[in-house]
Amino acid sequence: MKDTLKKKHLKGNIIRIERSSIHDGQGLRTVIFLKGCQLSCPWCSTPESQSFEFEKGYDQRLCTACGRCIESCPENAITLSDDGLGVITDRDKCVGCFRCFEVCQANAVKKYGFTMTVDDLMKEISKDEIFYFHSGGGITLSGGEPLCQPDFCAALLEKCKINGIHTALESSLYTPYSSLDTVLPWLDHLYADLKHMDNQMHTLWVGASNQTTLDNLIKADQTSYHFGEIIRIPLIPGYNDTDSNLAATLGFCTKLKKIKEIELLPYHRLGSDTYRLLGLDYRCRDLLPPSEEHVKERAEFMNSLLTGIPIRSGSEIT
Amino acid sequence: MPQTKQKKLEARVEPTYMKRIHFLKQRVLDTQPEMDLENARLLTKGFREAEGEPLVMRKARAFRNQCCEKTIKIWDEELIVGCSGSKIRAGILCADSCWSVLDKELDTISSRKYDPFNLKPEDRFAFEEEIRPYWKGRSNYEEWLAQIPDETRVLRDNGVVYIDRKAVRGWGETTAGYEWLIKEGLEGIILSIKERKSKLDLTKPGDFEKDYYLKSLLIAADGIARNAERYAEEADKLAAAEDNPRRKKELIEIAEVCRRVPMKPARTFREALQSLYFYQTMIFMEQNAASYNPGRMDQYLWPFYKADIDAGRITPEQAQELLDCLWIKFSEPCLFQDAQTAEFAAGYPMFQNVCAGGVDEAGKDAVNDLSYMILQATMDVQLYQPSLSVRYSVSKNPNSFLRKVVELIRLGTGFPAFHNDDIGIAMLMNKGVPLREAYNWNPCGCVETNLEGRMRQYTALADINLGSMVEFTLLNGINRKSGLIISERTGEPKEFTSFDQFLQAVKSQIAYATRAVIAGSHVIDEIGLNRPVPALSLTFRDCIENAKDYAWGGAKYNVGNGIILIGVADLINSITAVKYLVYDQKLVPMEQLIEALDHDFCGYEEIRKLCLEAPKYGNDDPYADEIAGEIFTYIADEIERYESKFGKMTPGILPVSGNTPFGLEVGALPSGRKAWQPLADGVSPSGGTDLNGPSAVIKSVAHIPHGRFVQGTLLNMKVEPAMLKTENGITQLMALLKSLCSLGVFHVQFNVIDQETLINAQREPEKYKGLLVRVAGYTAYFVELGKDVQDEIIGRTVQHGISTG
Repeated sequence: MKDTLKKKHLKGNIIRIERSSIHDGQGLRTVIFLKGCQLSCPWCSTPESQSFEFEKGYDQRLCTACGRCIESCPENAITLSDDGLGVITDRDKCVGCFRCFEVCQANAVKKYGFTMTVDDLMKEISKDEIFYFHSGGGITLSGGEPLCQPDFCAALLEKCKINGIHTALESSLYTPYSSLDTVLPWLDHLYADLKHMDNQMHTLWVGASNQTTLDNLIKADQTSYHFGEIIRIPLIPGYNDTDSNLAATLGFCTKLKKIKEIELLPYHRLGSDTYRLLGLDYRCRDLLPPSEEHVKERAEFMNSLLTGIPIRSGSEIT
Repeated sequence: MPQTKQKKLEARVEPTYMKRIHFLKQRVLDTQPEMDLENARLLTKGFREAEGEPLVMRKARAFRNQCCEKTIKIWDEELIVGCSGSKIRAGILCADSCWSVLDKELDTISSRKYDPFNLKPEDRFAFEEEIRPYWKGRSNYEEWLAQIPDETRVLRDNGVVYIDRKAVRGWGETTAGYEWLIKEGLEGIILSIKERKSKLDLTKPGDFEKDYYLKSLLIAADGIARNAERYAEEADKLAAAEDNPRRKKELIEIAEVCRRVPMKPARTFREALQSLYFYQTMIFMEQNAASYNPGRMDQYLWPFYKADIDAGRITPEQAQELLDCLWIKFSEPCLFQDAQTAEFAAGYPMFQNVCAGGVDEAGKDAVNDLSYMILQATMDVQLYQPSLSVRYSVSKNPNSFLRKVVELIRLGTGFPAFHNDDIGIAMLMNKGVPLREAYNWNPCGCVETNLEGRMRQYTALADINLGSMVEFTLLNGINRKSGLIISERTGEPKEFTSFDQFLQAVKSQIAYATRAVIAGSHVIDEIGLNRPVPALSLTFRDCIENAKDYAWGGAKYNVGNGIILIGVADLINSITAVKYLVYDQKLVPMEQLIEALDHDFCGYEEIRKLCLEAPKYGNDDPYADEIAGEIFTYIADEIERYESKFGKMTPGILPVSGNTPFGLEVGALPSGRKAWQPLADGVSPSGGTDLNGPSAVIKSVAHIPHGRFVQGTLLNMKVEPAMLKTENGITQLMALLKSLCSLGVFHVQFNVIDQETLINAQREPEKYKGLLVRVAGYTAYFVELGKDVQDEIIGRTVQHGISTG
């Protein structure tokens, strides 16, 4: 009893909740983006998910330079820009009180991140039950790296599972296995990102070895829990879209007993605005997204290897 | 041909019959609408010649006169023929009900902003020399202007209610008994009339009136028959002169069909379609009005289609071609209405509502091959008529039908209007129709409800401006624009000590406007008694049995007129903002809020921000949605409290485009809406305030008690093409529609945000401030995104991938 109470009041740090999503799992889904990730992939489309702290975004195009935020800041971290058309925040001085966010009239200041209890989030999730029912949908925990908040995730997934709501979790699996083990009993679908099979390349780009990810996946695969695995490859032109890497990924996947399919997610730049708002450098600025033909061709190449694992690519969801 | 099996998305090879359809369609698109006063002239002549006879006899004789003397034209490549006037795309004038409307617009009708009609000198001459001199002082519109109650007039003149619609055109808003006519022919109907007539005893009081009424029906029937014969003669003539053997053969067939129907029972699918369309042109000629609804064509045409197919008389392709030809015919006529009414419903809106799907009279799945072909006809033709609706029964209709519906939605024409069958049935029952018959309901006009050959009412008699209700509450009965006290004094809001007091004042304002509309409605009901419609009444069995015209309440079910509410989201959001800011959170005192509104928020930007940030309807937020439920339950209660001589008054929510002109009459609102901007449409959230995606919109909308708004509720939703590009997207839209039905929402139609819209928004961001799009896992205002991201979103309207959110 005490345990249940504790679970209800567990809190998670969240960036946002997206309802009726059709992109992250079967049916119409409520996708919960959790805040914080240990990796920082250069192509990341949700840079606001990387930091574990709440963050401030600022859009100068919307700013009217009214000065309200300058006055409101207790740390005097905000000053008028030289051209007088906007403001500049000294991020070193900023303590994250978000007073500026509250007073901004023009929606130029954004706040990324908020806290919610399992109980409150369940209320939000339950709102779409009828949509899950008709579509076979449910919830997807995404991020950021949801497994950085394992107890919160597990409590939430358990609640969903026992109430008949389909559950999915998307992860880099770059976490201690114990975190993964906490959620597995309540999971229907595990979406695992495999960015590169070559450890050197992986380390070079992502800043961490792929060994933890691969080991965790193998270990999870050998458990007796009934969940399906979907492997996601973010298709980054010139990085991991080579014959050898795709073949190696496929080779690894054939060892997985619970695998259902592989999804090729073409790199896109929809997140570039957020880098601008956060004042972060977008390292992929000059990288062009792959053409639809290229994605299709890559999928065909993987299919030609005849592993029997279904390959889906972004342009032909069936 | 009919795709009863699920088919993958692939380019459809265009059938050969489409060559004709493209030709006919192009002709419609290339023809500028004109005024056509030939039949007003013929009507006038007929009325003159029948002077001294009872009104309905004169109307019938004048109608027959029109049938016998009007210009008969068969245009090139047509297979289905018929026209209410002499010109292919024209507005006709209902001289007996509203001749004077044109009088005011003689100089402007050709160039007015909404729905212009080219008025030729000869037509103008006919109007000035023959029509006006005879009708001056005699039309229903003039009676209305003379009799409109004072308080109704004041509200009308200040844009608080709109109630002239029914005085400036004829009945419409009805579904005639097409099935009876097609099955038994005029000869069957004439037989019923004669039988009824033979039972009369002219020595009995009342029977004399019945006798001449039934005679007038026979005259109207004769006129309809004569019109068809004249088409047969014209086809013969054209056939004789035709050199092209293919067309010659077609013209001979047309002659044969016109010689047969509508006088005799239709034997084939083609005869059934021709019978239907002849009658359609006749009732429109009898009274220019919107919303003569062919209704459930997939049901009453099914026996004819099936018999033809079984006998090998027709192929599905041939049947589709005929159906497509009929669809083109539906798009030819243009509703003539005065400039102001046109502003409330622009686009020559004929609203001939055709319906597919639903359940049959036993409550079983009624979808058949024709249901699919009807959807296909709209996909083939893609013109503005007929107004295509589906009745979708979530528990009974097959997924393949729903899929075909979504395939049509993908085309971005705005069709079909998707109706939740269970709620439609409930609405009819709430109108007093027993379940057995309610199963057979059909959508009418926009989203109203009707019952073939049995129901009389004005479904959309008057509109109430809900934005004004908020304004009156905040200004204690004063109209902001005029500064006049024109509504109830409900008290100075700054003296209200609780939210309940405020809400009570809003309700009192609504009650006041409702009373004014009811009073006006009763006047229109009386005037309507002077506009008998014998041609329409012919296919209402009860009009014959009761020997009583449709206009006099002869139909089986007579329903009180429809009262339409406009500005739903504005009302909900304004009440919510007051509750939240003034009473619950105490962030803005009432005086300051009113001051800010007085200044249209200029210099009060902080208050406006608070107003905009208050909970909004359309986000599945119980704070706003519970107010929606309470206030709309109250409105339904209030309207239903009143009776007319025809029945309980009926509420509905269906602005066609009335939210724009009404918005011009309303100042700034607590919702954060600036002064004179358009109000929200239908039951949809205010533009740009629904930030939680489609499921949240549907959940909010479900708080309105739809089944009680028996004249329908209208929801517009926007959908991005990306959603409909893929098989997965189509499947999910199907699930969304099923969920909408499970939640008890009545109707939805989708506007696809196309590439052009996005490009325009990029170019002129000021005009597209509220345009929301999905970006990698969140909803954003398109115009606030950086150009590169905008470009990427524009790109995905043609190319689509799973986003790596």
